Amino acid sequence: MMFDEPFLRQLERLALLSRRAMAGQMQGERRSPRRGQSVEFADYRPYAPGDDFRRIDWNAYARLERFFIKLFVEEEDVTVHLLIDTSRSMDWGDPNKLWYAARAAGAIGYVALAGLDRVAVKVLGEGNGPFPAQRGKRQAMTLFSYLERLQTGGPTALGPRLRAYAAAARLPGPLVLFSDLFDPGWTEGLGALAARGFEVTVLHTLAPDEVAPSLEGDLRLVDVESGGEVEITADYDMLARYRHGLADWQAEVRRYCALREMRYLSVVTDVPFEELLFAVLRRGGVLS
Amino acid sequence: MIHFFAPAAFALAALLPVILAMYLLKLRRTERVVSSTYLWQRMVRDVEANAPWQRLRHNLLLYLQLLILALLVLALARPFSWAEGRGGQATILVLDTSASMSATDASPTRLDAARAQARQIVDGLPDDARVTVIAAGQQARVLLSSSLDRRQAHLALDRVRPEVGGSDMAAALELASAVAARQPDTEIAVLSDGRVELPQRLALRGNVRYLPLGTSGDNQAVGALSVRSMPGGQYLAAFVQVANYGESGVERRLALYADGQLANAYDLDLPAHGQRAVVAEQLPPETEVVEARLLGADVLSLDDRAWAVTRAGARASVVLVSEGNRFLETALGLMPDLALTVVSPVQLMTSVSPEQEGDVPATATAQPTGEAVATPAVPGQAASAGDEAAAAEALAAADLVLLDTETPPAAILPLSANLLYLGPLRSTAYFSVTGRLDAPVPRLVDATDPLVARTAVEQVSILEASRLALPAWARPLLVADLPGDEPAPLLLAGQVGGRRIAVLAFDLRRSDLPLQVSFPLLLANLIDWLAPEQGAGVPTQVGPGDAVSLAVPPEVDRVEVRTPGGATVRLDPVAGRAVFAETGELGLYELAWGEGGSAPALRARFAVGLFSGLESDLRPAEDLHLQGAAGEAGEEASLRARREWWRPLAYVALLVLVVEWAVYQRAVLARLAGWLRAALRRRGSNLPWS
Repeated sequence: MMFDEPFLRQLERLALLSRRAMAGQMQGERRSPRRGQSVEFADYRPYAPGDDFRRIDWNAYARLERFFIKLFVEEEDVTVHLLIDTSRSMDWGDPNKLWYAARAAGAIGYVALAGLDRVAVKVLGEGNGPFPAQRGKRQAMTLFSYLERLQTGGPTALGPRLRAYAAAARLPGPLVLFSDLFDPGWTEGLGALAARGFEVTVLHTLAPDEVAPSLEGDLRLVDVESGGEVEITADYDMLARYRHGLADWQAEVRRYCALREMRYLSVVTDVPFEELLFAVLRRGGVLS
Repeated sequence: MIHFFAPAAFALAALLPVILAMYLLKLRRTERVVSSTYLWQRMVRDVEANAPWQRLRHNLLLYLQLLILALLVLALARPFSWAEGRGGQATILVLDTSASMSATDASPTRLDAARAQARQIVDGLPDDARVTVIAAGQQARVLLSSSLDRRQAHLALDRVRPEVGGSDMAAALELASAVAARQPDTEIAVLSDGRVELPQRLALRGNVRYLPLGTSGDNQAVGALSVRSMPGGQYLAAFVQVANYGESGVERRLALYADGQLANAYDLDLPAHGQRAVVAEQLPPETEVVEARLLGADVLSLDDRAWAVTRAGARASVVLVSEGNRFLETALGLMPDLALTVVSPVQLMTSVSPEQEGDVPATATAQPTGEAVATPAVPGQAASAGDEAAAAEALAAADLVLLDTETPPAAILPLSANLLYLGPLRSTAYFSVTGRLDAPVPRLVDATDPLVARTAVEQVSILEASRLALPAWARPLLVADLPGDEPAPLLLAGQVGGRRIAVLAFDLRRSDLPLQVSFPLLLANLIDWLAPEQGAGVPTQVGPGDAVSLAVPPEVDRVEVRTPGGATVRLDPVAGRAVFAETGELGLYELAWGEGGSAPALRARFAVGLFSGLESDLRPAEDLHLQGAAGEAGEEASLRARREWWRPLAYVALLVLVVEWAVYQRAVLARLAGWLRAALRRRGSNLPWS
């Protein structure tokens, strides 16, 4: 079990924020760009044959002798996309990045389900089955058990995978990407998501020893994923340069996201999980 | 130009590529699996480019290690440069310590400048060069002999002290030459101002180099100072000569002090290389010390002061026991430096204190006092109680008692006084009168005896003389040959029981001696011998460094000299002589001697003054005209010396090594600094006031 009852009750008090109205499939609690049947007046439009004449504004007709249809704001559900990078680089660190990302995805997914939204989980990696979009709080257990059983495998290949997902998604909506972005294809992937109209939140998940590596001496670093090697002499200079390089890279990602109206949140897995949900994500405008 | 002593060490430079290769060769690196090398690759891309040379580019440690090795190799090769004029394989430093070296035209003095120059030479010498330090003062002294120890050399140079006398440069150079003879390739560096006396040709071994010191000759000096007692003893006159050795005329004020009191001052206009003489008359007759002082400042202050000591205050007191003898009184009155008191025989007898009277032998009481009473008193000598007291005082202080035909018992005569008997009629404790001689013909025993030399006393005609038996303690000076008998002494002198006694066997009035030219001479000789000038043989003026030899009476066992600096030097008299040689200070010396703990029996002063034109004339000599061992090999070569550089190189290498360590441990050091900062911050926040 991922979360206990009290924690879930805490989660129910949260809501997933969305910055813009998005079209959904069913009646829900979110403003939709469509006009529909809520109580909230949106607009008038001239009557056209075939319109539901029950929605003609008879007061307007009495004054103007013209038919106008009253339009109301439609409230629909949205599909929350949770994209989890399960490349082998994610199975790393203490606390484990994948486990951390899965829990975060579970929590956000639960918040979304509790808010009558649809939740779709996409695993960016190999060895996991699909998780079709689900709706309703009752589906939470399914979501949790799916996330608990996540397998790592395969290369990251962020670019093609994200591009493929963006192309396949029927309804763009809020999208949370859990990844360490350790892949040169991150620009391509994020660009594709932004272009498709997702409201993207990048949860850049890093392990503590990736932020401040505890390396010393002459080392041959072996990539767990690709097996690629890098030879370094981990002295003071090198570590200082690494920290600078990391900061530069994060700034670069942040800038890239900001230009495309994506939210970028950097998370180190030694940050307590509660703090992530109730502070980091709220501050980042993901939850409220 | 840099040369190398051990160029073979450059072979070690082969280690440089080894270090380089160690960096270039792939190290055995530990494998470490990381989540992703993505970031590392991004970062290392520019650092670790494919070309190995570029990989080396940013490695500070490598550079530092290469630098250390290069420095060490360089140091091992022992680079040296030829320093011009830095001495040979062995160097003898001859430092002039004469008075002129105290001149302040070099900063702070010429001697200090010489010392600094000597230090430079010592520091510039190669390590295997031996150093000898000779101080050429009054005596040449070897302060350090052929030492390799540079610290000793510096200490020896510290020990070089300025002296106030001249310098025996010739002896110093001979010493140096003797040292040089033992060591080949020796340079003798003479650090002097050249104000030295050297023989015309001085054959020296080794290469002599003269390093002149000093720039200015701008000096004035008191060249001479003497004090005379004017005839009659009315006053003293001082003669002062002031010399200007400078290149330009100058005005100086000369102050004369009599016993510390300013007596007179003169403004002297001294022409260049000129002199001025000053005669100061009317100085008080009791003045003991006259000091001449040039006010103001010049380059050498030592010769601006001079002292002269007079013995005016210590005149011999002479008591004449006589019923009146015009000849004697006139002759004695003309003698300077005598305090004459005439005492009648009656006064002599009555002046004896009761205690002394008790000691008077019975024969003395048989003295026919009536006769003395009957004789009229000496003119101006009333037999009053006051006069008797004065007579007693004079007797007690008397240095010499002249007994004109009187023969009082020896016990009533002052103990320390010397005695001169003139025509004794009766025997005394010292000699016996055995009869009379009529018209003796005098003959000189030894014409060269100082007491009678050049007196022509043998030409005296004598009417009548007492016939004396020659005592064992006396030597006859003038005798009368008697047929068939031993010659009878007419004049004898000698020393007995600590007092000097002379006896003239005839009454002056019964000879024509007082009318002869020889009389004052003889009398003066006798008085000089019997009443020696106070300060027995102590000179009044001594050159600096000169030894003062003192004739010490046998009973004196404590001789002390107080130097101008206030130190007291005890002398041990040996065989009646004491020698005081520590006259290395200009000024007044005070001599005192006495027996055991009693008050000093003698106090005398003498002055040590420079009075040396050679030392006062400060113009440095351009050349000493010294000749080294001409023709010996390597005269030019040995003028150059190696100056080694390995020491600074080794120091720099050490420094770089420390830097290299710090660079290598940067991470640890940075962490330490962080902890320290954090700890300080914690500590700071715990402070009660924060």
